[in-house]
Amino acid sequence: MVSSRADFDILTWDGTVSSSDFRVAALAFAEKWKRFNTTTLPRWSWVPCSKRPWIVAHETEGYLSLENVFLRGSSEEDQDESSQTGKEEPTCSGQDDAIDNAILVQSSGHEIHRYDFHIVYSSSYRVPVLFFRAYCSDGQPLVLDDIEKDLPANSAKVLTESKWTFITQEEHPHLNRPWYTLHPCGTSEWMKLLLVAAASRAKGGMAFEKYLVSWLSVVGQVIGLRIPIEMLCDSDEL
Amino acid sequence: MASEPPSSARKVVVHLRATGDAPILKQAKFKIAGTDKFAKVIDFLRRQLHRETLFVYVNSAFSPNPDELVIDLYTNFGFDGKLVVNYACSMAWG
Repeated sequence: MVSSRADFDILTWDGTVSSSDFRVAALAFAEKWKRFNTTTLPRWSWVPCSKRPWIVAHETEGYLSLENVFLRGSSEEDQDESSQTGKEEPTCSGQDDAIDNAILVQSSGHEIHRYDFHIVYSSSYRVPVLFFRAYCSDGQPLVLDDIEKDLPANSAKVLTESKWTFITQEEHPHLNRPWYTLHPCGTSEWMKLLLVAAASRAKGGMAFEKYLVSWLSVVGQVIGLRIPIEMLCDSDEL
Repeated sequence: MASEPPSSARKVVVHLRATGDAPILKQAKFKIAGTDKFAKVIDFLRRQLHRETLFVYVNSAFSPNPDELVIDLYTNFGFDGKLVVNYACSMAWG
């Protein structure tokens, strides 16, 4: 299925999505992730919520959440490319008691950090924004300097060059606590680049269902979260 | 058929295509070993363009992870005997 909107004009599209398109994209993305990641990483789940608890929650409000992801410092990255996502640890797949697993894998001598990732819709930028936090296996939260060591080499470099515009600490819009976030102001621009060529091949239609796959292919590189290639291949058939 | 080397040992033709304000390369097509990582393509572009931050993507609407093997990208997203890689210079994070 390509697009439900026949009148959508890809040539004038600015790379943004509405909050209801975001929800559609988020649910499709979570479903697809489940299909392709059954043995590697935890699952993304949609967390519905309302910023105004006294009003009945609007169905489009919520965010995608992927928690308990194990990342290891990028110093090991060269020897073992899969180490950053922790997917080589068979002990952390498909189980809920990930805290115990963290203790188990720590015996290998590496400091294991757990990451929580949330994909939140920004109504001011009209794009998805990544929020994340990290902590040690004992629950101690990590500061940005520690997180920097877990990032792929290239992101660490960008981070050093543009410290306050790349990763910053902001209030999580739904949880009202400080989380780290990746600044969204370039997002619509590169999303447009990514999707316009593909959409024009699909005869003017635009699949919002694949918006988040494309988005995470870029953002995931910053934080070392890799999308399985099968999931990218399949994106035309959703 | 039988004499073909295993697919991972094959060379892949990469076609580099400029988008947006990116300069066009004199040599837009080159061969690379399928066993190489996509990072090699990115490094090549960086050196050619003297730009540290590039936005590199393929037509199927995603930006390949630098750790992907070129042969895997070719197998899944190549057509007409080559892998088309688009690049733009306008990548901005803030």
